[in-house]
Amino acid sequence: MQRIGPTRPEGVILAGQAPPALRVDDLRRSFYGVSVLQGISLSIAAGSITGLIGPNGAGKSTFFNVISGLLRPDQGRVSLGGRNVTGMSPDRLVGCGLVRTFQLARGFPKLSVFQHLMLYAPRQPGEHMLAAIFGSRQARAYEAEIAERAWSVARRLRLGHVLDNPITSLSGGQKQLVAIGRALMASPQIILLDEPMAGVNPTLGGQIADHLLALHEDGITICLIEHDMSLIKRLCDPVIVLAEGRTLMTGSFAEVVDDPRVQEAYLGTRH
Amino acid sequence: MLAEIAQALANGLLSGALIAVPAIGFTTIFAVLRFPDFAVASYATVGAFAGWWVNVRLGMGVVPILIAAFIVAGLVGLVAEHIALRPLRGYGALTVAIGSIALNLVLENLIRFIFGNDLHGYDLPLEQDLNVGPIRVGPQQIQNLGLAAAVLVLVFLFLRYSRFGRAMRAVADNADLSRLKGIDPGRIAGLAVLLGAGLAGVGGVLLGFDTSIDPLTGYRVVLAVFAAAVLGGLGSIPGAVAGALALGVAEELALLVVPATYRSAIGFAAILLMLTFRPRGLLGERSV
Repeated sequence: MQRIGPTRPEGVILAGQAPPALRVDDLRRSFYGVSVLQGISLSIAAGSITGLIGPNGAGKSTFFNVISGLLRPDQGRVSLGGRNVTGMSPDRLVGCGLVRTFQLARGFPKLSVFQHLMLYAPRQPGEHMLAAIFGSRQARAYEAEIAERAWSVARRLRLGHVLDNPITSLSGGQKQLVAIGRALMASPQIILLDEPMAGVNPTLGGQIADHLLALHEDGITICLIEHDMSLIKRLCDPVIVLAEGRTLMTGSFAEVVDDPRVQEAYLGTRH
Repeated sequence: MLAEIAQALANGLLSGALIAVPAIGFTTIFAVLRFPDFAVASYATVGAFAGWWVNVRLGMGVVPILIAAFIVAGLVGLVAEHIALRPLRGYGALTVAIGSIALNLVLENLIRFIFGNDLHGYDLPLEQDLNVGPIRVGPQQIQNLGLAAAVLVLVFLFLRYSRFGRAMRAVADNADLSRLKGIDPGRIAGLAVLLGAGLAGVGGVLLGFDTSIDPLTGYRVVLAVFAAAVLGGLGSIPGAVAGALALGVAEELALLVVPATYRSAIGFAAILLMLTFRPRGLLGERSV
């Protein structure tokens, strides 16, 4: 991987410097003999909004699926805040503070917005049979607490007016907001967003971008896959480019768009 | 004519209730694993023979018959799915569906090898038909209706209130999101196959109570089971019940105007009409 700007060896942490929020070394994954991830190495700085771009088939969504635990890597290492989390299950990763959203934010069709938010609060005692039977007072107290948090998250994301609506009645953009709200309920350190603007109208897209900037100001690390370059330009620094399952380069938006290798990856070789 | 229609309606509901049980099994497997498992035909036959063995060889009654059918068919389904179908999952739903047809033939011939081709009947007391107004029904049919209703209620309670039932519904609705909450879709898939194949086995016993059993018991009803699930909306459990009852009534009413040899055409016609005009079925949420 080539870095633009001041260079230093990958993964070397200087004295007194905090470890990156997420660090990935030589991540590989293949499907039926086809290599989709061919050795991705990258770091995501704590507190940054990092954009992950690349042409279709670059391996962006597979990369998210591997680091969020939905797929096991064939090889490589994933570290979260310095802790090795390679191959950890998705729910344990959520417990460690890594939360993700999906491009198709379908949710659970039979649940309301409020129920979606409540569902992803961590360590709910009522989910365990014995605790639900013998610790009902504590379970109720905690449930009241997370209900208050759900209200607060909904207000923050301007979802208060649709809180009791089934998720199926929401627009694509509102569903993405619910997915972000669900992530916030899990008290995340880092949120992975898979194309949050796909199929979202520009007005709501602008609101989602504002919410992401507000989360960034709160110190939450964000990594997003997005094809909307105006959004990447507005929000992301740095931008990481993936192509053919490898990290092509990392840099600022201006550096990335001017790089001939990135232009070639998107447009093909000029003959 | 009114008496004939009333009789056809009663017969339709009774036969539909028998189909509803394996149809729930079929649709449960579809809801979680997203492929039509035609091996439910052989699971129904396995259950029917397991129940027959417990009844005739061990002399046990209705409840042990149903329990044996559920357990044996469920376990056979679980093992067969693990060995034969699970390795095909990565190649897409169509490949697994074709694999399930092959698996059905293998299991059907295994049953033939063990029990032979002859018809087998349960050792249950014969009773005279009852007349309710203009409608004539057999006590065995009423018992079957009651048993089918009891099984359906148990399945609904399991899916609605048990931890596993809720997890199964969550995986059916959104497997990836369920994993973020710590639900293992692989484990839930196994449970769905166990439940689906077990219910098919119970359905096989109820069909056997109604007539007799042989290695083709499940094969004869698999089209009706598939049609019921498609009619109700693949993956919808209430839909499978509604589809089975609607299909049973439609078949019996159609017999008032067409010869009985065309009975199986009703199922095909129902599938074609539903896929043309309402692809998501009566109560389904997603198109087939």
